[in-house]
Amino acid sequence: MTHRKLLSFALFLTICWVPARAVVPGTAAPDFSGTDSNGILHMLSQYRGKFVVLEWANRGCPYDQKHYLSGNMAALQREWTGKGVIWLSIISSAPGEQGNVTAAEENKYLKEVKAAPTAAILDPSGTIGRLYGAKTTPHMFVIDPKGIVVYQGAIDDKPTTDQADLKGARNYLTESLTAAMAGKAVAVASTRPYGCSVKYRD
Amino acid sequence: MKIRRFNTILILVCAALFGVPANAQIQVVGDGGPGPAKAQHLTAELVSLAPSVAPGGTLQVGLALTLEDHWHVYWINAGDSGEPPKITWTLPAGITAGPMQFPIPSRLPLGPLMDFGYESSVAFPVKLNVAKTVKPGPIHLDAKVNWLVCREVCIPGKAHLGLNFTVAHGANSSAQPVGALGAALNLIPVPLPQNAKVNVTGGKSDLVVTLSTGRSETKAEFYPFDQEQIDNAATQTVEATPNGVRIRVRRAPELTKLPAQLHGLIKLSDKEAYDVTAAVTPGEVALGTGTGKDASGVTTITAIGLAFVGGIILNLMPCVFPVLFLKGLALVQSSGEERSRLRSHGLIYTLGILVSFWIIVAVLLGLRAGGSQAGWGFQLQSPVFIAVLAAGLFFFALSLAGQFDLGLSLTSVGGGLAQKQGYTGSFFTGVLATIVATPCTAPLMGAAIGFALAQPAGITFAVFTALGLGLATPYLLLSFQPAWTRVLPRPGAWMEVLKQLTAVPLFATVIWLVWVYGRLYSSGASGQGVDHVGLLLLCLLMLAIAGWVLGKWPARWTSTIAAVLLAVVAIAIPLYQPKDTTLVWAPYSQQALDGARTAGHPVFIDFTAAWCLSCQVNERIVLKSAEVQEQFSKNKVTLLRADWTQYDPEITKQLALINRSGVPTYVIYPGSPSAAADVLPELLTKDIVLTALKKDVK
Repeated sequence: MTHRKLLSFALFLTICWVPARAVVPGTAAPDFSGTDSNGILHMLSQYRGKFVVLEWANRGCPYDQKHYLSGNMAALQREWTGKGVIWLSIISSAPGEQGNVTAAEENKYLKEVKAAPTAAILDPSGTIGRLYGAKTTPHMFVIDPKGIVVYQGAIDDKPTTDQADLKGARNYLTESLTAAMAGKAVAVASTRPYGCSVKYRD
Repeated sequence: MKIRRFNTILILVCAALFGVPANAQIQVVGDGGPGPAKAQHLTAELVSLAPSVAPGGTLQVGLALTLEDHWHVYWINAGDSGEPPKITWTLPAGITAGPMQFPIPSRLPLGPLMDFGYESSVAFPVKLNVAKTVKPGPIHLDAKVNWLVCREVCIPGKAHLGLNFTVAHGANSSAQPVGALGAALNLIPVPLPQNAKVNVTGGKSDLVVTLSTGRSETKAEFYPFDQEQIDNAATQTVEATPNGVRIRVRRAPELTKLPAQLHGLIKLSDKEAYDVTAAVTPGEVALGTGTGKDASGVTTITAIGLAFVGGIILNLMPCVFPVLFLKGLALVQSSGEERSRLRSHGLIYTLGILVSFWIIVAVLLGLRAGGSQAGWGFQLQSPVFIAVLAAGLFFFALSLAGQFDLGLSLTSVGGGLAQKQGYTGSFFTGVLATIVATPCTAPLMGAAIGFALAQPAGITFAVFTALGLGLATPYLLLSFQPAWTRVLPRPGAWMEVLKQLTAVPLFATVIWLVWVYGRLYSSGASGQGVDHVGLLLLCLLMLAIAGWVLGKWPARWTSTIAAVLLAVVAIAIPLYQPKDTTLVWAPYSQQALDGARTAGHPVFIDFTAAWCLSCQVNERIVLKSAEVQEQFSKNKVTLLRADWTQYDPEITKQLALINRSGVPTYVIYPGSPSAAADVLPELLTKDIVLTALKKDVK
């Protein structure tokens, strides 16, 4: 084989082999473990029997800011955790990249924006993000009590950074949770997520 | 890199100093007047091709963006992330604007993601239609533009831009395309010309787009207009065809059923792209049914040439040279009147070589076809292929280095047939030459064979035929001119040294393949890549033992069978893939331990190290066994692994707390925060663990 051809294959493997493909609705959600901003270890498998929302976040991203600074995300978190849903915010920004925070910084931020996730999981190595194929912030995944993904994709249908677009936007997260909790099929199970790209380690 | 880090630190410092940015509202630049507006990282301007237009005419205007270095904006389908720019016009009566047109984009990779867009500068043409009823005079257009400009971070932007022009009778608005807008107009993808066609075949994992323009193309990229059809980041395989090009793109995993149509751009170069829509027909297209150029630039002619030269050089190898020399000597000793018969013997010998090569190629092609049906192929992404290739090359390299002689055992088989007189003898001498040449072929013929195996059947046959002809040529020449035998060097020690030297690049290739094999698994849990490399090295060790057996007892069927058995077991080792354990072990930290205990979870800590053999044995036999795993998950035990492979003060402290000083150590902390640690013995059995779990997790 020509060494160049093999070398380019090897480079391709090292750079691009880890797939960034979102987990497909209807399949099992991969188990993961992560430490949150309070040092507590969470495993997806320990929440079997409950609905789980995974929300990829990056506080520096203007799309994420649209939801956090307007209080929209906090309101959604409060509404659904109040109904027994486990809401995990996951930060997969690599060290030195936008959105990467220490545990203390994350707790401070959550207090400031009055966010109320069940836990904010710090994933600086990007392992959980790559496992799920999280592409943007925000990128939402909804997992049912049996561990099956019922929704993946955008939080709503207005891919802009304007807070004015929150009103009247069709919220896919609310729709899928409402349908799944009522035992009905989710009408839109997969959408293209919008937002800044997740700042994985190069 | 340094600048990026500095920028990021600056952003983080600002964020830290000022907390969360209080105002995320974007500042709108520009006042609606004409001319450029400077925004963060780009300058935006409305431009037009001509200063005036007649009533009833059209005017080409556009949005021109000039970007700072390394910043980009997006195409109409931004890819995995991002949003394209948008224009909202405020137009006077009688003037309508067409849609924004997008010039040919580029692929913008971002880690594991792929976006489509533009760097440095871009203009988006828009065609304005001026109704006949518009009165002549000055016109002002207003536009609210918003965009997303990104580098590693994204900054949304808004601008309020304006454009002035006049409506005048007789004005000529079809000026020559100049400037940024003119360049952009030339870069708008065009529909396919009449004589060109495109078809799309949709398979299980790929979509294959075949474009026929009449001209063979070597570079092409596919950009989909619709999202969630292709995997944007996956590499697109491009094969040149005689009158076009074939692009193989990977389907998006979210695509559950084939779309009826595929609408996208086929970009042949920065200046040539076609906007194509084609119906998708289900089916599979095998790799390598195009022709010619391969990505590394080895053309068919070069490969055939290389193969021919390689074949000639093969004659110098100690595998083949003695055969050549002895046959040459025999030729010299024959008398003149048999010359014509000698020539025909030479030709029959050549035929023997060619037929043997063709049989080999047929077998290889059969394997390739069968393999592609089964889902694997000659691809370096398949760990199976790499393991088998590394093992095969290692075995050949051992033979070249002198551990055993592959040719000898085969010669004894072929020798009898070659002894036959007459044409049959010559034919089988040719076959023999091919067989003994095989182990010496790899170091010289790597490039040509690698290329040939990835090409369609015709090319593969051509390359191997050239190899066979090269191998046969010296003897063929000698059969025409036996006197030339005197020119040949006598066989001697130099052949052995040459053979051993060729083992060195082969071993180097094996090292490289082992590295690639380790990399294939390095994205999993840390250390997994090294585990697999360990297994592959074990396989190579067993092959070395098999080689030793062949070397100690050469040319005996008993030793051959023993060696074959050893080789089979050796290959099975890295190919055996046990099912992955389902439980995840988190790395140990004081925080994790305290957190779990506060939450009331029982904790099992495994203090281990890579250099500790009993740790590995305990893990594999006890901790990974089905019964123990079941108890772990049933009792919701938090599993922490304290890796002491390198010195860690936190782990050492924890060990001291439980009166231990080394590994292996196993501790169960029962659920209640006040309970004491239960330290298990160093040599575990399933019973010990299960009993302890039952006792501690109540």
